Amino acid sequence: MLSAADILDILATGATTRIEDPARAPAFAPGDEVVTRTLSPLTHTRLPRYCRGKRGVVVKVHGLYALPDVRAIGDEETREYCYAVRFDMRELWGPQGAATDSLTIDLWDSYLLPAPAEATP
Amino acid sequence: MAGQHDDHDHGDHSHNDHAHDGHDHDHFHRIHSQEADALLMSIADIEISARVKALEELLTQKGLIDPSALDAVVDLYENQIGPKNGARVIARAWADPAYKAWLLADPNAAIADLGFAGAQGENMVALENTADVHNVVVCTLCSCYPWPVLGLPPVWYKSMPYRTRIVRDPRSVLAEFGTVLPATTEIRVWDSNSEVRYLVVPRRPEGTEGLDEAALAALVSRDSMIGVTEALSPEPA
Repeated sequence: MLSAADILDILATGATTRIEDPARAPAFAPGDEVVTRTLSPLTHTRLPRYCRGKRGVVVKVHGLYALPDVRAIGDEETREYCYAVRFDMRELWGPQGAATDSLTIDLWDSYLLPAPAEATP
Repeated sequence: MAGQHDDHDHGDHSHNDHAHDGHDHDHFHRIHSQEADALLMSIADIEISARVKALEELLTQKGLIDPSALDAVVDLYENQIGPKNGARVIARAWADPAYKAWLLADPNAAIADLGFAGAQGENMVALENTADVHNVVVCTLCSCYPWPVLGLPPVWYKSMPYRTRIVRDPRSVLAEFGTVLPATTEIRVWDSNSEVRYLVVPRRPEGTEGLDEAALAALVSRDSMIGVTEALSPEPA
């Protein structure tokens, strides 16, 4: 059983699944356009429905983290790059979204595809 | 939504996580007043309190937890760790441009330099508000929040109305917090759904040129570091 001292020590130290692995390069860099996949897993995911199948831009590479989708079902080993990805509100909500505003959310490699080039008119 | 706590739709219903039956369900969905929100939150609070108490008693009886350890955790986050920590970080950033640059570039190190670190603050990102950009943080999936600098989240931060509406219509939600931004200000909503924790650096208020860090820190509210308000203005001399 954890004592008060044990728990206070854990809280003071913290814990993260982040790892450094210079051998693995991120698939995307800030400025890259991406499209989120349309996934509907029956198990845990951190890809909310509101941003599935949407086009956004990577604004930050956070690093290599556990992938919550598989960690939730027992896989403690897998690490993927996690990125802050920004979406225009109109991409998420249609013409009633605010043109001035954006939403940024952290997304893992498994959720992302390179965006196809915009069709030229 | 069985087993899929964080995978809800973001529709227009404010109370879609409350499993009311039949008549009550329809009834609650027709009500859209702040009073109704407050009532629902208080019902949820009572239910959660009862559930927590039952769990704590059961785990204690089974010898799985030490009640004094729980007391220590509650004391830590009620009396020792809270938004005064974050306010010190922001005040230092306002007072010292080099510290602010460090906070934005390497927030873990800059925050640890003031003595703050630990659980739910392992991977910090600082978001600077400017005249043109206003940042606001939410966790739509649950209640992710940077404990070492802000303590534990307020009830409204965890509520479904905040979590569903801020991502869809942030300008209106901010206005309800008293934060009316120019129409040209870009609002950036950050959905905190990973191990990264976000801290908003509010704009330094006008008329604070002569203030020292302690006086500046008094102007940095919890809500301004979530991004739903701006920092407080100094009392007129």
